[in-house]
Amino acid sequence: MTKSEYLTEYDGIVKTMQMYIDGSKQGKSELMRPAFHPDASFFGYAGEQLATGTKFLFDWIDKNGPAPKIEPRVVSVDILDSIAVVRLEVAGWSGNLAGSDVRMSDLFTLLKMPGGWKIIQKAFHWHA
Amino acid sequence: MPERNTPQRTLESWKQIAAYLDRSERTVRRWEASEGLPVHRREHEKQDTVFAYRHEIEAWSRLRTRCPGETLSDEAESLPQLKPAANAYLAEHDAITRTMHCYIAGARAGDGELMRPAFHPSATISGYCQGVEYSGSVEHVFQWVTANGPAPNINPRFARIEIIESIAVVHLEVQHWSGKLAGANARASDVFTLLKCNGEWKITHKLFHWHDQ
Repeated sequence: MTKSEYLTEYDGIVKTMQMYIDGSKQGKSELMRPAFHPDASFFGYAGEQLATGTKFLFDWIDKNGPAPKIEPRVVSVDILDSIAVVRLEVAGWSGNLAGSDVRMSDLFTLLKMPGGWKIIQKAFHWHA
Repeated sequence: MPERNTPQRTLESWKQIAAYLDRSERTVRRWEASEGLPVHRREHEKQDTVFAYRHEIEAWSRLRTRCPGETLSDEAESLPQLKPAANAYLAEHDAITRTMHCYIAGARAGDGELMRPAFHPSATISGYCQGVEYSGSVEHVFQWVTANGPAPNINPRFARIEIIESIAVVHLEVQHWSGKLAGANARASDVFTLLKCNGEWKITHKLFHWHDQ
């Protein structure tokens, strides 16, 4: 991958991640749905409860509502040809379900599709 | 027919596992940490107990790669054991490596069932194979590995292991893939996401990229 190819892919990945961030901030799953692959999966523990499936995530985002003060940080982006890993750290989560000032660490894996980079899995750790 | 004692299917302690392999307890503990010896844990309130299945130990023993450094095992035995509490990160790292070795052992043997314990039951896979995107159940991996058959020369390298409390990502680079489906001398980059479930690290997703030859 040349440097300009790398930057093109990097920008594509960040664009996809921004949809996730916008949906989280506004509490609207419809904004983030296009970022996800139709077969995407979702995994992590919400307290003692194992949460799985993107339906759980989208319902959670809608019920949680706006989280205007989230501070997302893209900690790493690793690209291996057609696949990529993004680590996102989000501080300042709030909302109906999140409570206030919660921190979340996310690992996203992405797949390069004809229509751009799509999230194929989100794994999260909720810092209690 | 002469009556035969049915051998016990499980080994119920480090002592029994060590005796079965004719090695010291310290050696078999080290093999678990560094070489993927398949040891399971039962969670109890105060202290976990270990057990192992004979058939898994035998399968591992058959497949175990003999490293040139093997004769140095006496020296390795004199190394101090890790104190789990003081090395929490290393303990998690080792546990993740064990799970990955279970995957590698299955890939090497061409036995999908051998790697099944490494995966979460709802695990999925995604990636491109010969230009065609595939996303679906991990069952496809088990079927593929079994149909592919043994790949004795695979050379797996852990390019990265990143742990965030209950989740982790492992980037595995595998060279010298071979077999009925892989062809000869293929290279794959895999990204695994893992989740710590009930004290055990399980793969929830495998993302793969086959490199053009």
